[in-house]
Parts: sequence; structure tokens; C-alpha cells
Amino acid sequence: MNPPNPTAVEEAPAETPPPRRPSLRLPRDRHALVDNFFRFQSLFGLVAVFLIAIAVSPVRNGENIFLSSGNLANIVRAVSEIGIIAVGMTFVILIGGIDLSVGAVLGLAAVGSATLMVDSGLGILPTVLIVLLIGTAFGATQGAIVARIGIQSFIVTLAGLQAARGIARMWSGGLGIPIAYGDGPQEAPEAFSLLSGSINGVLPVPAVLFIAIGIGALLLLRTTAFARHVYAIGGNEKAARLSGVPVRRVRIAVFAISGLLAALAGIIHAGQLNQGSPNDGSGYELDAIAAVVIGGTSLAGGSGSMGGTIAGALLLGILNNILALNNIDANVQLVVKGLVIVAAAALQKLRPRIS
Amino acid sequence: MTERPLVRMTGIGKRFGGVQACRDIDLTITAGEVHALLGENGAGKSTLINILSGVITAYDGTIEVDGRPVSFAGPVDAQRAGIATIHQELDLVAGLSIAENMFLGREPRTRLGSVDIRRMRRQAAEHLRTLGADLDPRRLVGSLRVGEQQLVEIGRALSLDARVLIMDEPTAALADAEVERLFETIAGLRRAGVGIVYISHRMAELEVIADRATVLRNGRLAGTVDPKTASRDEIIQLMVGRSVDALFGEGRNEPGEVLLDVRGFAVTPRRPTPGRTEPAGVDLTVRSGEIVGLAGLMGAGRTELLETLFGAGGSGRRTGEVTIDGRPYHPHGPRAALARGVAFVPEDRRGAGLMLEHSVAENVVLSALSSLTTLGVVRRQAVRRTVAEQLTSLAVKAASPAVAAATLSGGNQQKVVFAKQLLTQPRLLLLDEPTRGVDIGAKAEIYRLLHRLADTGMAILLASSELPELRSLCDRVVVLHRGRTVATLPRASATQQAILAAANGDDAKETR
Ligand SMILES: Nc1ncnc2c1ncn2[C@@H]1O[C@H](COP(=O)(O)OP(=O)(O)OP(=O)(O)O)[C@@H](O)[C@H]1O
Ligand SMILES: [Mg+2]
Repeated sequence: MNPPNPTAVEEAPAETPPPRRPSLRLPRDRHALVDNFFRFQSLFGLVAVFLIAIAVSPVRNGENIFLSSGNLANIVRAVSEIGIIAVGMTFVILIGGIDLSVGAVLGLAAVGSATLMVDSGLGILPTVLIVLLIGTAFGATQGAIVARIGIQSFIVTLAGLQAARGIARMWSGGLGIPIAYGDGPQEAPEAFSLLSGSINGVLPVPAVLFIAIGIGALLLLRTTAFARHVYAIGGNEKAARLSGVPVRRVRIAVFAISGLLAALAGIIHAGQLNQGSPNDGSGYELDAIAAVVIGGTSLAGGSGSMGGTIAGALLLGILNNILALNNIDANVQLVVKGLVIVAAAALQKLRPRIS
Repeated sequence: MTERPLVRMTGIGKRFGGVQACRDIDLTITAGEVHALLGENGAGKSTLINILSGVITAYDGTIEVDGRPVSFAGPVDAQRAGIATIHQELDLVAGLSIAENMFLGREPRTRLGSVDIRRMRRQAAEHLRTLGADLDPRRLVGSLRVGEQQLVEIGRALSLDARVLIMDEPTAALADAEVERLFETIAGLRRAGVGIVYISHRMAELEVIADRATVLRNGRLAGTVDPKTASRDEIIQLMVGRSVDALFGEGRNEPGEVLLDVRGFAVTPRRPTPGRTEPAGVDLTVRSGEIVGLAGLMGAGRTELLETLFGAGGSGRRTGEVTIDGRPYHPHGPRAALARGVAFVPEDRRGAGLMLEHSVAENVVLSALSSLTTLGVVRRQAVRRTVAEQLTSLAVKAASPAVAAATLSGGNQQKVVFAKQLLTQPRLLLLDEPTRGVDIGAKAEIYRLLHRLADTGMAILLASSELPELRSLCDRVVVLHRGRTVATLPRASATQQAILAAANGDDAKETR
């Protein structure tokens, strides 16, 4: 396997200026292989954890419990909320920011869904639209503060976290609002409970939503000019600005996306639990960040992928699931999760750096 | 040169992935000589000195210092062996002061063990004064212009009292006056028996200070010459492998309509930023098809003027008149400027020009993305074609468009920034030191390119510290001093003396 182009450049006769036709393909040498391993690190990690899970899964009546379709569906269902949040978080981290408010926004959205349907008697569509709008507006506001005033996103969203929790508590009176279904007053439309159901009894609706959103975001990030702008801002904000990238607008959009997806996760949350509680979703932001980091996205911004995030979220889900199947203490689970995060980050460090 | 060399490098080779940056290179450095290292962009000069200075630790061949073989585990080792290096790409810590940067890692201590800040500042100031730089050692490096940072870097190397001093394009961001000071310093060091390796793309400098010149081509040794006797053509022939035809075209088209008109333009910042010289009374005109030069000393406000014209300058009250095509022009940001057909190539290519970790291709198309999309989706085929075209037309040397911009040699990085801005198809091109660190062949290409662009009716405003460049390239040279226009010299009267006199603020007479 000889690298096609570099050799050509080297051995071009030095007497005449070599006609330099830059090759459009990646040099196919060992480095490309190594590079690809690191690029798809989280995918390899996912496969590895999957295989380990099969190996260590308890077996009942000759059936591998981990591999049962019910269990697999449950895993995806369990990670769907974190996964959807992590998709939004990926955008934010790619521009070199962080969004700590997502868990609180999830709680706010859950409360909103319950109150609007149960107390205000709104239908599903208006409820969903209003809640998504609230999440988007909340995110966009944070983005505007980051972009316009120039405060670091860590601080702005830390404040946002407190604010969203506070609003959720005020709105709900501090208590969880149960959602009862039916046509009467104080009852939510039956269709909302679909969120806790499954398609054909196998595919949980939240899991389908997560996968659909993940794939959509993956395509968006691979193909659009908006995505190139996101990467550019994370890579070198000043250079991006001087190249005419609408830095502020992209910033605001990215935080708006994060808020929107957190609100969607909140709606799903309310549907799955049949209640909206203002304290829900606390700590979710950290799990989402963990998924992004395991997915190989750099906290410094500018590099990473949506596929990695999806794989990272699934990996965390499998990990939790297999530990639970083996009746391992929840506290041990936390420690294992911590180790996995460090291992993933350490692997990234091994990646051959340029210069 | 009969005495034993200070440093002897034998059979040095280095490979980066598919690129053989150096191959079987021998180099000796003797006490009291200035040894120039020449070659095109990407010839392997920086790689060679990175090996000598301990930055690159895995390489082929041997290095001897004072006849004893050494192998440095890192830059600190090399420094201990008496080898100090001024790297091409400045590596200073932006958040620390000048003094702290100069003594980073070897801060002078008081008897109590705390850092002796006063001594540090005093010594830093002394070194800067030797270089003729009037900088407060307490200032943060992040607030300095590129040229000033370069002086800090040089000061740091001087403060090491090294026996071997390596300078990788130390003058790339310096204006003539500072270069002269640096040469005096170099002469002093050479008398003191220091061995100096000197890399530069400015041929005129070599004739002045180099005792010996080693030429690299494509990572190989191409020959060693005496720059005092060898003709410039011979040296270029060695570097490029062919002769470079007359650098400067004449016979230009007649300039067209006035495109950019600036009258009594000034920016009054609410709070002045130390180190920034905002426009304070600028008058200039650029017609379409014209190349106008901006000259001035360091701190004359050339960069600030260009930034402001691109909507990327400091905030403050603007007075005076700026028009493009006779219509008022006050861009509130780069996007607004680009929309009016104004593009800008900044001087600090690593800080403001490139996304270093991103691929060459991504860098090239960044500013032209909107013309390469359908409904927001990037057309890959079109991008690929555009990138290939741009890289070919500017002869960028990269293993492939997919490699990170950081792996390109300095001059090729500059070409990438250039390519990116040209893709916006501007009508007015603002250039800040466009040929900084660019080799002589590529420089000629860029000059030809600028002429070609001007002939198509583009207006070009170009700031440069290289007077020969301004003189040969520009139809007119506008000289700034402390943010104001002090002279406008037509090509014929733009002599070196006239520009320097005006730049020093000596004799400000208008010759419009
Ligand atoms: N870290 C790296 N990874 C991959 N390739 C590299 C790296 N550093 C240098 N190269 C390649 O090695 C070659 C020599 O580069 P080098 O920086 O030594 O050139 P140079 O002679 O200093 O050029 P310039 O005059 O532009 O500074 C170039 O083709 C460059 O792309
Ligand atoms: Mg170099």
C-alpha cells in the first residue's frame, strides 16, 4: 500500500516544476488506518461493550437475556432522553461551548406538558408546540447572552439551569403534576400516552424518536453549510468571523437547538412517567456530556461527530443495563461509568496529533 | 573555517506520514558565522532546525555538539546544550506578560525563593532595548502585534546567552528599522563567537549578513554557496531548480473609476486599547485596477486601518468619510464588508486566518460556502473541484487537500488563506503582509496573481513592511505615521528614502 500522491510529489523531477495535482483522496497508508480507528473509536467501543455484554449476560432457559429483543428495546428506550439531549449538546460542544441547562429545561418541559394538558386543558399539538417553543426560546436566549455579551457559556447556562428549575417549580407549585388520561377536565388526551408505548409492541416510541433525531442530526452535520460554520467556529472563531461566518447567529442557533431538543426530551419524559415533576432531569446534563465525550467530540470544539455521540449514548445505556442485569449495585455502576469516560478521553489523547 | 564546528549534523532525515520532509542532510555550524538556510516553502528548513532544537525527537542521522554525539529528549535539553531557537511560528503565552514570557520556566528567584519580578522586568526591558523595541515588559503578549511578538521571541532567545542561535524567519513580521537593529545585534553576537543559523525568504538580507548559505530543495541538500559572491540568480536556481523570471511586471492597464475613497477618516475609541493605533486622519483613494501600498513603521496603524475597513476593527466613534463606488461604506462586521465585495487577508495567519486542525479543503472553502450549497446542503463535488482549482492555481504544496492545515509549511499556509479570500471574488482586496514567510518563487507567483487581479479591475490595498515589495508592486504608496496619512507617493517618487523619511514622521509633506 503505497500512498499514491505524496510519493508522486517527492519523486517529481526537481528540474522542472512538478505539475501538482493535489490528490482528492486521503492518503491510504498506515496513518489513515490509525486515524480511522480513532475517528470511529466510539463505534469500536460500542461493539466491544456489546460483545462483552453478551458474554457476561445472565442466561435463563437457554436464552441470553441481554440479547432478548425486549431487553435491547429497553436499552434504547432508557437512553432515548439522554440521547436526544446529547444530540443537542454535540452542537454546543462543537462550537467550543457547553450547555448545563438541559436537565433543568427537561424538567421545565415536563412540567409544562403536564400543566398545559391537565390544568389548561390544551390538546396535544398546542401543548407540544408551546413546550418546544419555550425550550427553543430558552436556549436561544442563553445563546444570545453568550454571543452578544460574550459571557462564557458555562456561566450563562449554569445560571440558566437555576432559572429553569425555579420557573418549573413556580409553575408547578413545587410538586409533580400527575397526568391522568381521558376526555374530562383535569385529564390529558389519551394519545399522549403513546409516548410510553411501542410501535408493533417492539419498538418503543421514544427510542424511535431518538434514532430518527440522531440520524437527522447526523445528516445535518455532514452535509450542510450550517454544520461547516459550526465546526469553523469551534476550530478558530476569529478566522471564522473574518471569513464571513455569521458567528453570532450560528451561536444562537446552536443553543436554540440544544434547548429545543431538551424540551422534546422533557415531553417524552412526561409521557413515559405520566407526570411532570420540576425536579426531573437533574444531572442529565452530565450524562449527556459524558455521551458526547465518549463519542470522541473534543470539549475544545471544532472536532467530533454525531455518530460518535449516538454510539456514546448507546454505550452508556448498554453499560447500565448489563450491570443492572447482573445485579451490580447502582453505586458501582457510577464508578464504572466514570472509568469509561476517562478511558474514552485517554484513548483520544493517544490519537496521533499533527505537529 | 578550519576550527572544529560547534554543531555537526550528519545524514539527517525525517518523514511525516507520506511526506519526506528531510533526506540525508548534512549541516555544520561554526563559531562566529552566520549560516543561512535557504529553500522554497516546504523545503524542510523548519523541520531541520526543529530536529536540532529538540522539538522533533524521532529522526534519522546524528547530531554532534562540540564533537560529542547528542540526542535531545526535548527543547530544554537543546537549550542546556547552548542551542537557542526562535521558531517560525511564535509560541508565546498570550495571557502572560512580556517579561513572564521571556523568562518562562527559568524565572529569576529572590533569596526567599519567590519570583524576582523586578529583576525579571528589568532584564526583559534591557533585552528589548537592545533590539530597539520600546515595549513595557508588563504588557500582556496577547495585546501585541505580530511584529512585536517576534521581537519578544528574539529577546527571549538572546536572554539565553546561547552559543548557537537559530532564527527561523525572524524578520518576517519586522519593518526595515527593526530589521536593521536586529542585524546590528546579530553582528555583535557573531563577533562574540556565537554560531547563528538564519532562515529568511528575503534575499536582500542574506547578502548583508550571511557568511555561508546552505540551500535545501525538496528536503534534500541542493548546495552550499557564499552569498557575498554568488549571484541572486544562482541561488534562486539552486532553491527552485529553475530561474524565476522577472518578478515584477510593468505595462499595467490604466486604472479605472475610484473604488475606495477615504477622507479624513478617524476612529476615536471610547477607551483606548494599549498597543492599538486607530486611524487618526487617513486619506487615500484606490481605483479599480490599482494596487496601492500602505507603508509605515511598526505601530503606524496599518493593520488597524485595514481591519477597520473590513469591519473588524476596534469600536469607537467614526469621523470622516469612507465611500465605495461613491456610496457611503461603514461596515459593522466582516459579513457586511464581504457583501460589499471587500475581502481581507490578515497578517496573523495562525491566529486569524486558519483553522489549523481542520483540513486544507475546509479552510479554502469556508468563506465561499454559500455559493457552493443548494438549499443549505454543501455540494461536495463542487467543493472538491473548487478546492482543487484553487490549490493548483496558487501552487499550494500539500500532501492532499484532506491534511490538516497545521501540517503545511508556513508559506503554504499563507497561500491557503489567500485562496480562501479570493474565492469570495472581491472587488477590493485588503492585504496585510501578504507575502510574509512566502518563498521567492511563490512570491513571484503572488505578485503575478495580484497584477492579474488588478488587470481584471480589482482594487488592491496592501500593507507591507518590505519596501522593495511596495516599490515594485504598487502604483502608489500611502505612508502612515501614528494613524495618519503623512505622504502619498506616486510610484516614481516612492524611493526607499522617501518612504522611510515619511514613515519616521520627519518631513510630512503631501505629494498627492
Ligand atoms: N507535523 C507535520 N506533519 C506532517 N507534515 C509536516 C509536518 N511538519 C512539516 N511537514 C511537511 O514537511 C515539509 C517540510 O516542511 P517545513 O516546515 O520544514 O518547510 P520550510 O522549509 O520550513 O518551509 P517554509 O519556508 O514555508 O517555512 C512540508 O511538505 C510540510 O508539509
Ligand atoms: Mg519554515
